[in-house]
Amino acid sequence: MSVLDAPAGSGPRTGTADSRTALIPVFARLKLALLRNGLRQSSGRRAAYIASVVGALLIAAGQLLGLILLRGNAHADSVVVLLTAVVALGWAVMPLFFSAGDETLDPTRLVMLPLRPRPLIVALLVSSLIGLGPLFTLCLAAGSVVALAHGAGAVVFAVLAVPLTLLVCVALARAVAAANTRLLTSRKGRDLAVLSGLVIAVGIQVVNFGAQRLGQAGGLSSLDPAADVLRWVPPASAVGSVGSAAQGAYGRAVVQLLLAVAALVALLWLWQRTLTKLMTSPDGSTTAAAGPGRDKAGRTGAGLWALLPEGRTGTVMQRSLRYVARDPKTKAAWVTALAVGLIVPLINALQGQGSVYFACFASGMLGIQMYNQFGQDTSAFWMVAQTISSPRDAYLELRARALALLLITLPYTVLVAVVTAALLGDWPVLPGVVGLSFALLGAMLATGATASVLFPYSVPQEGAFKNVAPGQAGLAWISILGGMVTAAVLSAPVIALTITLHVTGRTDWLWLLVPVGAAYGVLTAWGGVRLAAPRMAARLPEIISAVSKG
Amino acid sequence: MPDRVEHDGTERPREAPPAVRVEGLWKRFGEQTAVAGIDLELPAGKFIGLVGPNGAGKTTTLSMVTGLLRPDQGRIEVGGRDVWRDPVEVKSRIGVLPEGLRLFERLSGRELLAYTGRLRGLPGQEVDSRATQLLDVLDLAGSQHKLVIDYSTGMRKKIGLAAALLHNPEVLFLDEPFEGVDPVSAQTIRKVLERYTRSGATVVFSSHVMELVESLCDWVAVMAAGAIRAQGPLAEVRGSATSLQNAFLELVGAGDRDTGETLDWLGGDR
Repeated sequence: MSVLDAPAGSGPRTGTADSRTALIPVFARLKLALLRNGLRQSSGRRAAYIASVVGALLIAAGQLLGLILLRGNAHADSVVVLLTAVVALGWAVMPLFFSAGDETLDPTRLVMLPLRPRPLIVALLVSSLIGLGPLFTLCLAAGSVVALAHGAGAVVFAVLAVPLTLLVCVALARAVAAANTRLLTSRKGRDLAVLSGLVIAVGIQVVNFGAQRLGQAGGLSSLDPAADVLRWVPPASAVGSVGSAAQGAYGRAVVQLLLAVAALVALLWLWQRTLTKLMTSPDGSTTAAAGPGRDKAGRTGAGLWALLPEGRTGTVMQRSLRYVARDPKTKAAWVTALAVGLIVPLINALQGQGSVYFACFASGMLGIQMYNQFGQDTSAFWMVAQTISSPRDAYLELRARALALLLITLPYTVLVAVVTAALLGDWPVLPGVVGLSFALLGAMLATGATASVLFPYSVPQEGAFKNVAPGQAGLAWISILGGMVTAAVLSAPVIALTITLHVTGRTDWLWLLVPVGAAYGVLTAWGGVRLAAPRMAARLPEIISAVSKG
Repeated sequence: MPDRVEHDGTERPREAPPAVRVEGLWKRFGEQTAVAGIDLELPAGKFIGLVGPNGAGKTTTLSMVTGLLRPDQGRIEVGGRDVWRDPVEVKSRIGVLPEGLRLFERLSGRELLAYTGRLRGLPGQEVDSRATQLLDVLDLAGSQHKLVIDYSTGMRKKIGLAAALLHNPEVLFLDEPFEGVDPVSAQTIRKVLERYTRSGATVVFSSHVMELVESLCDWVAVMAAGAIRAQGPLAEVRGSATSLQNAFLELVGAGDRDTGETLDWLGGDR
């Protein structure tokens, strides 16, 4: 019935030469079976998969059509090369963020099988050609060469370039995935996956900006410099070779094609090496923690930390700042806030239509970090709650968190204002912007402290895109939107003063806003923390249960 | 409150007020009653086990006693002081190791202790020297600079215990401190706790492992379905039963549940 029933020693025990041929269909069938079973699990998943198949096919078809239409265009060469490079980049980055999608991808599942690396690699490579991604890439590569291939010589190169492009892409993904399997099964790797949301968020801003620039400046011809470089980088070089051949530069074409072949060989070699290493060395998660002997190093109170005040204030600030650096969720929120807070005023300034006052956006974005302070702690907040027994303790705790935030926010706000003013060349407005930012920041801290106490909610630790536990989304929105409106109202006097100074034309008095805004910000922040503290001390159990839901 | 202390003083002249006194404690979650009006009086200086099956209300009770969960009704005193009315006095006197709540896992073991001790208001140098000793005794010195998130279950329980002991509390509450802990770590925890109670402190811990409670505790409270079924010195609760396990099964009414003929095919002809 099975191998277990066969008499001992009767079957083949190790992979022989013919196992290479046998392995490929096994893996291909395994891949198909996994795909089928995955779809069988739930109708929702099936629907999602079918929708994504249809979507991908439509896009692929559209792309194919578009590329074919591009045939004969003067810039077709550049577009096609860039597109291939972008897709290859996608293949390289994908396995870093989406690890669980493909079970045949995980070599640790194959450790117990008597498989030799070389046939295994070939079989894995073939099985990974099955799927949506490869199909999509195939359409792209085919379209690309159709757009470029003029003349019989170019067609020969095209026929070679299409499979080569596809293979390099797949091998690239596999090599990266193998190199990262250990990372992905470790805590650090999962942290990285949480940060992927951030890469996407910031990436969208950059792409958006790039697209706008492209629209403004001379269109497709601005792509040429980038394409000139990428045409030598595999797998784009394979597509590039078709273009070269079409122009009659066969020598260049051969070199480009050989580059792609070399890349494929190198990737396969690299993949095989990491795979062998992975399958023969112990799992990173089970190796003992033979930590480096830094007994004295990293002692608390050493280095810059010593500058923080003693007592609860310094302790809480230190912990908050460490979490900004170490906790992936907190870090992602911070880096997003820092990046978006800078990018928005900058884009507006670069487009030449913005005002320096857009720099206030940075203080708003960073002020949001004060919201849901205890949700950021997760259920570990009980450790804080155990040490808070009076409104005074609560006041110190909230104030310290606000101070930690200011340590990053204050210089950053000033920096964004200065950079924006420099880009627009509008220096006289700068003090007004800085003063208004301070006032806004103070108001955000005040409302943030209050909202943290009154509307805490859980932040799920897994997944890059979930920042609110199920059922608490309403709470989160009330907290942040209500808080921002309140913050705007709170800083109304300073806003009014700014507007008055501008309307009445007394812009040389704008420097006044720096001390006024700072004083007003300090006052509102202090007031908010002061108001929130007794409520925090009284609501500790409620806060714990609210932040322990994720 | 003073009259209560006096009252105790007359009854047991040589003993301090009970470590924990609970009166008419209730907690409901929606339809479900987790703790149904329990009364408890846990003597000071003892190793006390709160035993009961899963879902008996042990964690809910301990959470309310330690100020982590607000009771619907009832009165809780630790060392003669009301937990909910006098948190300043109570919180500095108790140490807690809850179950199912996280620690600040993105700190290293040593950083976590430094943080907790300083939040407790201890002077920095004192915190560091106590932390060093606790890390040594609990066999965590080798991984003190690793992040707690990379710790194993046993190591987490140990670092949690260290954080709970750091301020030298009078009463230590531990929720399932041995759950998922390997025998070596369990023995380490045990030794530290035994030494701690010898100094006159009180340990209250919950568990559903009777053998463990029987070998560790000198006082037990048995809980089932949100109510206290028995409380008193171990020997008293055990009574005539051969073991705490049997006494417990009798108390919760599961002792003589007969499997009868429902599984008579099991082990029969194949």
